[in-house]
Amino acid sequence: MADKLTRILYVEDEPDIQMVARLALETLGGFTVEVCSSGNEAIARAPVFQPQFILLDVMMPGMDGPETLKMLRGLPQTASTPVAFMTAKVQPNEVAQYKALGAVDVIPKPFDPMTLASRVEDIWARCHG
Amino acid sequence: MANPAEEFQEKMRVLRVAYAAQLPEKIRQIEEACAGYQSRLDEETLQTLHLMVHSLTGSGATFGFSELSRFARVLEEFLKGIVNQGSPASDVQLTEIQRKIMLVKQATASIEATPAAPPDLMAVSTITDEPSDSKKVFLVEGETDLARELALQLSYFGYQVRVFNQLDAFLQAMKTTRNVLVVTDISFPEDSMGGVNTMRVVQQGRVVPVPVVYLSALDDLTARLEAVRTGGLAYFTKPVIIGDLVDKLDEMTSTIPPEPYRVLIVDDSISLAKYHAAVLEHAGMVVKVVNNPMEMMGPLQEFAPDLILMDVYMPECNGMELAGVVRQLEAFVSTPIVYLSSENDLDKQLSAMSLGGDDFLTKPIRPEHLVSSVTSRIQRSRMLRSFMVRDSLTGLLNHTTIKDYLEREVARAKRQKAPLAYAMIDIDHFKQVNDTYGHPVGDRVIKSLSRLLKQRLRDTDVVGRYGGEEFAVIMSNTDGHAAIKVLDEIRDAFSRLNHLADGKEFSATFSCGIADVALFSDAIKLGDTADRALYEAKHAGRNRVVLATGS
Repeated sequence: MADKLTRILYVEDEPDIQMVARLALETLGGFTVEVCSSGNEAIARAPVFQPQFILLDVMMPGMDGPETLKMLRGLPQTASTPVAFMTAKVQPNEVAQYKALGAVDVIPKPFDPMTLASRVEDIWARCHG
Repeated sequence: MANPAEEFQEKMRVLRVAYAAQLPEKIRQIEEACAGYQSRLDEETLQTLHLMVHSLTGSGATFGFSELSRFARVLEEFLKGIVNQGSPASDVQLTEIQRKIMLVKQATASIEATPAAPPDLMAVSTITDEPSDSKKVFLVEGETDLARELALQLSYFGYQVRVFNQLDAFLQAMKTTRNVLVVTDISFPEDSMGGVNTMRVVQQGRVVPVPVVYLSALDDLTARLEAVRTGGLAYFTKPVIIGDLVDKLDEMTSTIPPEPYRVLIVDDSISLAKYHAAVLEHAGMVVKVVNNPMEMMGPLQEFAPDLILMDVYMPECNGMELAGVVRQLEAFVSTPIVYLSSENDLDKQLSAMSLGGDDFLTKPIRPEHLVSSVTSRIQRSRMLRSFMVRDSLTGLLNHTTIKDYLEREVARAKRQKAPLAYAMIDIDHFKQVNDTYGHPVGDRVIKSLSRLLKQRLRDTDVVGRYGGEEFAVIMSNTDGHAAIKVLDEIRDAFSRLNHLADGKEFSATFSCGIADVALFSDAIKLGDTADRALYEAKHAGRNRVVLATGS
C-alpha cells in the first residue's frame, strides 16, 4: 500500500492559475502545496520541501517544464518523484513525448478546478498501484 | 462554510470576480507590448507579447471565460507563427495582430458589462457601490396577499421593493436589471419548482450570480439543494419571519468593510521586525512594532491587537515570560500569541506553547506563510470574540465592550490631544411600545434605531447597545458641537420612521445626552456626564439632544 499523498510541489509561472490550482489542491484535496513560479525556484525548493509529487507547467519563461524535469531528476531528493506535466496543447504524440521524458501523466489545461485534486489522487494511485 | 466543496466554490467565486476586475489592465499591458513591438520589431518584445497572451489564454480558460480564452488562443497561435518564422512581422501581420487584440478586448468588454459584484465582494472588486441600488429588491411571489404584506414590511426597513406575481414578468425585468436582490418563492401555480427553474435561466452567463433568497413551503432537501445550485444565499420556510428576512438582506447589502487586522510585533531585531511589519502591512493589516520587550505594556493596552507576534529570545525577558504576563491581563486572555523564532527544537517549541503561546513559526518564514497563518488565527479568534463582544439582537457592541472601547478611546484622545464626544441615547417611552404592541415589535424598533445609527454614523464611530433601549456612541475626532449636529439629524430621521404593528403605524423618538472629552477627561466622568445630559433631555420633554456644559 502506498503512502498517503500530502506534499505536492507545483510549478507554474502564471499567478492567476497558481491561485486557482493551489485553492483546488488545498481545499478540495487537503494537500500541502508548495508553489514555485519558475523552474529555478523549483530546483532550489524541491530538496527542502521533499515533495511526494510534482506538477509541472510545460511552457514557462526561462527554464521550461521539460528542462526543469531534467534538473529535478539530477537531484537525489527528486530523482524518482512522480511528475505530471500540465499543458494546453495535448496532441496524442506529444503525450507520448512527455512520457518518454519521464512524466507519469499529462493534465490538459484548462483543468477543471473541481476535479483537479481527484485527478492528482488517481495519478498518484496509479503510480503506486 | 459547511464543506470543502462549498468553501472552494465560494473562494473560487471571489477569485473569479477579482480576476475579471484585472482584465482591462491585462489587455492594456498587451496593447502596450504590441505598440512596443511595432516600433522596435525586436524578438524579445515579441516573445514577451507571446507569453502575455499565452498567460491570458490559460488563465481565462481556468476561470471559465471561454470566449476570451478562445480569442486569446487564436492570437497566441498567430504570434507563435511569427516567432517561428524567424523574421520580424510584416505590415500585414502587424495589422492582423492589432485586429486580433481588438477581438480579445471585445471579449473582455462583454465580461465587464455583466452585473456588478454583490456587496460582499466589494473588497476584492473595484466596482463602486451605489447605495440607492443596493437596497433594491425584486420580490417574486404568486400569492398576492403575502406579496403585498412582505413588500410593505420590507419597505419599512428601507428597501425599494418591486413585486412580481408572475415568473414571466420577472424574467423579462431581469434582462435589463442588475444590482438587485431577489426574494422569490419556489412554488408557483404554473410550475411547482418555478422559482428555481426561473433563477437558473437568470443566472446563466452571469459572472457574478444575482443574490437570491428563497421562500418556500417545502422543507425537503431536494428543494434546498436546487436553491443552493441556483445561487440561493438563504432559504426561509413559510410562514416567513420578517425580522429574519430583513437580517439576511441587511447582511447581504452591508457595505461596511471589515476592520483591518491589528498585529503587535515584539522583536528586539529592528530590521526583522520592520520586515515582518512590511509584509503584514502589505496584506492590509495595521501593525505596531515594539523593539524593547520591557516597553510592551503601553502599546499592548492602547493598540489592542488582534494578534501578538513575538520573538522567543530577547534581552531582559524572553517571549515565553512575556506571554505569561499577557495571559494574566483579563482583556488579553484570548488574544492569539504566535512565536516567531529560529528555534528548530520541537521540544522547546512545545514548552514555549505551554506557557500561553498558540503557534510557533520558524524563521526565516516566507511572506505568504506569515500572512496566511496570521490571517487564519485572527479570523477564528475574531469570530469567537464576536460572540462575546456583540449584542445578539442588534449586532452592536455590548455593554462591557463599549465601556472598554471608551476607556481606550479616551486615553488615545488625551494623548493625541484630539477631540472626542460620547453620547448616550435612550428610546422615549419604550415600555409603552412593548406593552402596547408586544416585545417582537419593540425589538424591531430597537433594531431600526441600531440600523439607522450604523447607516448615518461614520465607520470610525463606535456604536454599542448599552442595555434594553439604551445606546452609546463614541465619536472620535469630533467635538461636542459637531456631535450634536449629527445626532440631532439622526434624532429627526428616527422620529420620521414609521413602525408597523398589527397593520397600524406608529412612530417613536429618542433622547440623547452628549459629553465632550475637552470638558470631562476621564472615561468614567465622561460616561456619567453623558448620562446626566440624557436625563436633562428626558426632563425637558424628550425627543431632543442635549450637550453637557462644564460644571
